[in-house]
Amino acid sequence: MSITCKQATDYISKKEEGKVTLLQRYQLWRHFAVCSLCKLFSKQNKLLVSSLKHTTAQGEALTTNEKATIIKMMEQNKEAIE
Amino acid sequence: MSLEQQQKDAAKWVNDYSDMLYGFAVQRVNDTHAARDIVQDTFLAAWRNIENYTGEASVKTWLFTILKNKIIDHYRKTSSRSAHELSGDAGQQELFFDSEDHWAANAYPKDWGINYDNRIETKEFYSILQKCKSKLKDIQASVFSMKYLDGLESEEICKVLNITSSNYWVLVHRAKVQLRACLEANWFMR
Repeated sequence: MSITCKQATDYISKKEEGKVTLLQRYQLWRHFAVCSLCKLFSKQNKLLVSSLKHTTAQGEALTTNEKATIIKMMEQNKEAIE
Repeated sequence: MSLEQQQKDAAKWVNDYSDMLYGFAVQRVNDTHAARDIVQDTFLAAWRNIENYTGEASVKTWLFTILKNKIIDHYRKTSSRSAHELSGDAGQQELFFDSEDHWAANAYPKDWGINYDNRIETKEFYSILQKCKSKLKDIQASVFSMKYLDGLESEEICKVLNITSSNYWVLVHRAKVQLRACLEANWFMR
């Protein structure tokens, strides 16, 4: 029983979490033998996943004004409590 | 503690930790405005509950605990706003697959001509990745953040977002296909 590219790409994501059955794994293997596009997608997916996992902060920062606003709100808040 | 002392601390907290907290939030929240609001709310919540701060954990740890809870609240909100994303509607997916569920001719993945086993390290790539992520639907971005940045299992993600496992797989699949195409167009084959 063959699977479609849409199913194959879905199985590729499920495989990542070990959530494919033995049959699905076999179907995926059979699909790769005849579909170079999904095979390519699978390689690219691996790179994508490792990139997503390694995303780090790129030096994003709040502006001086934004910081001043927060400080002001905190001070007002404290006064309101007291 | 005198009011003056506390005010000094307010400034110190914000100057010492706001960029760190913002950097953490902005990677996880698909929207810089929302990330800013979350950081602001974090400081205000910490400030209001300063009596509960026992000093056992560092201020940084304490602030991050509050921040993480606020981020989870944000994830939940993206889910409750996205009921229509969870319906069976194929939407964007139709652009990528044809009527027989094979790759549509104009969406064939292209070979990027690189070694796929080598991770990409350049800053520019990660800024494009962030841009492509920001084009995803909020709930898709939430799933990706929880899954890849926070390392949560799919069962936990479904619980936080209150979605079924089949919802989850549809979200992951669509987001993957879309993100791949965006990176291909804006980085690998630009």
